[in-house]
Amino acid sequence: MAASSPLLALGRRDNFADVKAAEAGDALTIACLAAGDDDALADAFDRFGPSVYRAAMNVLGQGSAAQDVVQDVFVDLWSHPERFDPAAGTLRGFLVLLARRRSVDILRSELRRIARQERHHRLVPTPRPPSPCEQVTDADAANAVRTAVSMLPEGQRRVVELAYFQGLSCREVARIAGIPEGTAKSRLRLARAKLESALDRQLLESW
Amino acid sequence: MTSFEVLPVGLRERVLAASRDARQTGTPIPQVAEISPTEGLRRAADSLHSLLCTLTNDEWRTPVLRDLDVQGLIGHLIGVEEDVRRSLLGDPDVRDVDHVESTQAFAEQQVGRPAALTCADWRAAVDRTIASVDAAGDLDADLALHRMRLTLGELLVVRAFELWIHENDVRNATGRPPSVPDAPTLRLMTGLATGLLPQAAAGTALPGPIDVRLVLTGPGGGTWDLTVGDEPAVPSRRDVITRSRLRIVTDAVGFCRLAGNRVSPADLDVNVTGDAQLAAGVLAGVSSLALD
Repeated sequence: MAASSPLLALGRRDNFADVKAAEAGDALTIACLAAGDDDALADAFDRFGPSVYRAAMNVLGQGSAAQDVVQDVFVDLWSHPERFDPAAGTLRGFLVLLARRRSVDILRSELRRIARQERHHRLVPTPRPPSPCEQVTDADAANAVRTAVSMLPEGQRRVVELAYFQGLSCREVARIAGIPEGTAKSRLRLARAKLESALDRQLLESW
Repeated sequence: MTSFEVLPVGLRERVLAASRDARQTGTPIPQVAEISPTEGLRRAADSLHSLLCTLTNDEWRTPVLRDLDVQGLIGHLIGVEEDVRRSLLGDPDVRDVDHVESTQAFAEQQVGRPAALTCADWRAAVDRTIASVDAAGDLDADLALHRMRLTLGELLVVRAFELWIHENDVRNATGRPPSVPDAPTLRLMTGLATGLLPQAAAGTALPGPIDVRLVLTGPGGGTWDLTVGDEPAVPSRRDVITRSRLRIVTDAVGFCRLAGNRVSPADLDVNVTGDAQLAAGVLAGVSSLALD
């Protein structure tokens, strides 16, 4: 049976010895990082950097995001070495797990951003150029408004032009027209009622 | 080889630079509260005093160091405090006296006295030192005592160091487990010992200069970059090329025991990167810091 093979048993012992050596090395690395030894950080990067990068690339693919993940993982290790718990596994495993989690977070965040963008496009369609038919309609509407305004009495026409075409406030309209503000407001009110009535009629006639 | 197996050019430098921006090299985690040398001495005295209060009469008679029993050792410490007092007053006679010889009379005076009196006299002497320092104030003032040239602040840490070392001598002699100073006091001690190391190593004829990165792990530890060893009188081409670099990692408490000459370099649990013989020389320099 394979299980009784001395070679396999020897192999198992060697693996176990490797694991124990790795654990001792990890503990030393973490102790040195906690002591502020950046040589230990450089050593950790040389030993585990490729694995961390690979883990990030597997999730994120090509691009600078994977490099950002590697940076985040090692800055985090340097800033908080106490977060590594040797009882929970090896330092390599811990760093690779951090890289995967960070990469997945980035991926999820990116997917959420894209989904938000698509939703936005669906809800607020981008303006499209008016069709020839709409252009004709718009021109007709403009003519109708011009005609309706021209039929207003002089005083009312003046306040409409100042308020709606030039965008002035009631106070400014009153000052420019040389009339009290209350008069400007009442003229606008009357003019609006007449315009609504005239435009409705025109629209009805255009049907 | 896939692109996954090759790290992008410059990534290593970028990561290390960003890390150093996030946390300065040499700063230990967790950060240790800073205390004054006076407070360090007070804490070390409190710790030794607590131990002495638990000793039986028989334990006071236990041989502990050189020809001294525990009571004689505490008598020696009374003598040291007396020399410190004289040093603070500027007495030139204590500058170059031997640490042990100068205090031997105080050790011998304790024979036949009640242990409680010895203990009380020592505690009063330490309290007097602390009160004098509180009154004097200037921890940067230079002092000369027992062939050492130190600032007052450094001298107080040396005192704390000695009290802790002798506390553990007593613990060892009376079958008690060793004690470890709290992290702030230990940090004072590691800072002092690493600061004095270049000076101490100069006396060991180490071929230098050697760039030493000393990493002391655990509470009270940190990372120090030092240059030790004597410069060659006439630098040769080979000297320039072979300027040595060592990285020595050991735990802070073990390092302080080495500095107190209570553990030999060979028995210290240490991890060395670089020339092992040079590292042994540096560690011998650490152990030469001890006064007795």
